[in-house]
Amino acid sequence: MSFMPCAPHKTALILFPAFDWCISPTHPEREERLLYTRDQLIEEGLEDVENIVFFNPELASFQDIDRVHLCVPSSQKLLTESHLISAGGTLRAARAVMDKEAEKAFAIVRPPGHHAMQTVFGDRGFCIINIEAIMVEYIRRHYGVRKIAIVDTDCHHGDGTQDIFYNDPDTLFISLHQDGRTLFPGSGFLHESGGPAADGYTINIPLPPHTGEEGFDMVMERVVMPVLDEFQPELIINSAGQDNHYSDPITNMNFTAQGYARLNKLLNPDICVLEGGYSIEGALPYTNLGIILAMAGMDFSHVKEPDYDPARFAQPKDMTRYIEGICAKALEVFAKRGTGKKEALRQKIVREEKQIFYDTTGFHVDEARSYHLCPDCPGYTEIKASGLRNHIHAFTVPFNACPKCQQTARDSFSTTKPAAQTIIALQDRIEDIYETK
Amino acid sequence: MIIGIDVGGTHADGVLLDGTRLVAKHKVNVDQRHLSDIIITLLQALVPKDRHRLNRIHLSSTLCTNAIVTGSLDPVGMLIQAGPGMNPEFLAQSDATCFLDGSIDHRGHIICDPDLHKVDTAAKAMQQSGIDSIGIVTKFSYRNNSHEKYIAEHLAGRFAHVSMGHRISGLPNFPRRVYSTWLNAALKSQFCHFKEAIEHGLAHLDITCPCHILKADGGTIPFSRASEFPCESVHSGPSASVMGCLALCAQKGDAILLDIGGTTTDISLLVDGTPLLEPYGIRIAGRPTLIRALNTISIGLGGDSAVSREGSTFRIGPERQGPPMSQGGTGPTPTDAMVVLGRLQIGSVEKAAAAMTALCPQEAPERTATRLLETFAERIRQAATAMIEEVFSRPVYTVSALLHRRKISPEQIVAIGGPAAALESLLSRQFGLPCTVPADYEVANAIGAARTRLTVQASLYADTADGQLSIPEISCLERIPSGFGMPEAEKRLKQVIFGMVSEMGMVEIPEIDFLERLEMNVVRGFETSGKILNLKAQIRPGLATT
Repeated sequence: MSFMPCAPHKTALILFPAFDWCISPTHPEREERLLYTRDQLIEEGLEDVENIVFFNPELASFQDIDRVHLCVPSSQKLLTESHLISAGGTLRAARAVMDKEAEKAFAIVRPPGHHAMQTVFGDRGFCIINIEAIMVEYIRRHYGVRKIAIVDTDCHHGDGTQDIFYNDPDTLFISLHQDGRTLFPGSGFLHESGGPAADGYTINIPLPPHTGEEGFDMVMERVVMPVLDEFQPELIINSAGQDNHYSDPITNMNFTAQGYARLNKLLNPDICVLEGGYSIEGALPYTNLGIILAMAGMDFSHVKEPDYDPARFAQPKDMTRYIEGICAKALEVFAKRGTGKKEALRQKIVREEKQIFYDTTGFHVDEARSYHLCPDCPGYTEIKASGLRNHIHAFTVPFNACPKCQQTARDSFSTTKPAAQTIIALQDRIEDIYETK
Repeated sequence: MIIGIDVGGTHADGVLLDGTRLVAKHKVNVDQRHLSDIIITLLQALVPKDRHRLNRIHLSSTLCTNAIVTGSLDPVGMLIQAGPGMNPEFLAQSDATCFLDGSIDHRGHIICDPDLHKVDTAAKAMQQSGIDSIGIVTKFSYRNNSHEKYIAEHLAGRFAHVSMGHRISGLPNFPRRVYSTWLNAALKSQFCHFKEAIEHGLAHLDITCPCHILKADGGTIPFSRASEFPCESVHSGPSASVMGCLALCAQKGDAILLDIGGTTTDISLLVDGTPLLEPYGIRIAGRPTLIRALNTISIGLGGDSAVSREGSTFRIGPERQGPPMSQGGTGPTPTDAMVVLGRLQIGSVEKAAAAMTALCPQEAPERTATRLLETFAERIRQAATAMIEEVFSRPVYTVSALLHRRKISPEQIVAIGGPAAALESLLSRQFGLPCTVPADYEVANAIGAARTRLTVQASLYADTADGQLSIPEISCLERIPSGFGMPEAEKRLKQVIFGMVSEMGMVEIPEIDFLERLEMNVVRGFETSGKILNLKAQIRPGLATT
């Protein structure tokens, strides 16, 4: 006789609320954030459910960070143990799945990471390092996985994750978020569709404020699922931000715990990583539980916020039509994938410039990227960035670069002359080398 | 003087101690159907002539464990309020389960009251089916017990026994609370009968001193409290054995305690000289509970385990072989190996050697015996190592706790039980640690029962934003001022524990440990609106000094 339910999918939880860490005492990213979530999950008795296992996070190493990021002045100087633990939580989740300790894993850790870009000068959007990206490159390094899809369901555009994988056709990045014209970080439009070697592999789905269950269901059914079926990833990762919730204090959406659970059941991700979500009392205990039960293949029909009333969030017809339009355009982006590369190859080097705003302490970084394109691989990227009177000039070789591009990047690194206040860096993901001079 | 009695599966031991000195010991066979008679017989043999010199009686009884094993539990009606969360259907393990509406949230806020009409209907059906003991459990009742009390008060007088979840434990974990409450309710009437029988026997023997019951957590409670919370008396055997080890062989550091029997070996751990507890509670009859218990594991490995060859090594247990070949049995056992090596002088050495030859015909019996016992000790070592690893990987929630986790590093092994002395040097070699087998170890459990002192645990949850305080163990839910802080919380919880133990008759109050101390600002709209304080404190399992 069984006295506890058994999860059809064995699921690992890395629940680490970091009760002794905050950005500042009243900041949304404060000690209290996962208190009520922890209380709900423990009271539910999830620790005793058969096939749900709890793991502590480990500490990520600086090598795990430097494999992904270009930190200025250095990862050692920018990061605290809390960041290494948050990233380490995702690595533990990855190992649980890749070593088959569990079928699925959910890293419920903080601080989040999806606003952290490849170059890192400080904290932006509550994030310093991109914990999903660190996990993705860790998985590639240690388990040889190539094609990975990241579906970001945080209410804010996952601009950091987009930035890191922008030119990688082996990483499909789909972000569902509140329209950037109405919310931080102000990006994530349809036309941001990937770098010259990976056009069509970044798919942004900006949704109007007040989108609820119906709108998200539509995007999942019409865009996300068909695109994933076509891309055939070896792994699906959900950047499981929960701030689309109707009670979130810093966003304007109408999503629900039932909606998040249903989304996860459909998406069926291998690994979830918590991102944002700041309705710490009214939403997170329920959305996290809903996501866990959905991942584990269990009944989530009883997971409802105390004030849940689906009738409150009926979607107006014109909003439905608007979202239909967005879906059609997003599908078009993916359908045209790869066509831009032919054009770009004629130019050999494609240059892009952008300015990155670090909102937490308020400063700008100017960044110029040169994509050195190659017909056989995505090519290597040269990055120059300046901020806070520091500079970095880096050559980054993706894991899927060809030997020729790898060699060219290395040669360029060794012939680049040292300059004042400038870090010259080589980030070679094939050899797993991060070198500076 | 104290009498300690440990009732086991086949026999019961009793000891009379004067301070720490063993004055008398007595052993009788056990008939599980007449437990109170056996206990009275033991008492009769042990009680000092001068009755006034007897201060206390400590009982470790199998009453509740037997009731569970034989399925002779009372029928129980369960009233459960699950609120939002997992589908609670799995908790309906009997027909008489009623799921109520209404809910309390994670902060202890009442979202909606239960419908009393539904409660009445369920109660009526339960009464009609002859149920006289009910359990009432709501989710988050350790934060707010109002609904449990509300329903209990509403049903007052309709059932002989009412068990409420928040009184059983102040820890979170709703399914465990439901099962613990069910178990408590199912044991009530039997325990009351047992208490009456013992009290009758004591009066007959002219014994007036207090009688305490041993718990699974290496502590005792007075009989009166045990009859209210009989579930706490379940599974006290391992607890008697651990406390016995401690009494016979005091330890300050980390240690591994082994109770090696005929069929099983029980392993437990000492951390800084204190027995390690389960994070929530033990499993009883397959059900996870909140019944506080020592962390012990039992592996199917003992002197009489069945042995067979498995490649170049051996398979030992988990099934029992019966008597060893040296004592006329039919199959080889680890006991035969001990006899071959001259570490045990029971039965025939020739037959023991034959047992080894039956296992490995090509090898000298001494060689086979040595290899077999090495395998035996190695299996224990592996299990102990896995246990230490599991303790190390218990979830932590703060950066500081994660970075400062300490792994248990045993400095010594203490082994008791029949085969313990024969395995002493082997265990020592296999673990690379000194191994002690204390004298009088055959009555270790009874001595453990005698020397054990009271244990108590209580928890406090204060939310100054809401101005509310909850101490579930004493059913306390009250208003607090906004200035209520950690010092006040600590003081209050200490007072509560003092109150609980002095009510139980303890005069000298031992040190109180704070197991958990969480202080969190509640911030709403960038303003601090209050504090949440969460504390857990205990009197840890330990030996009475007098």
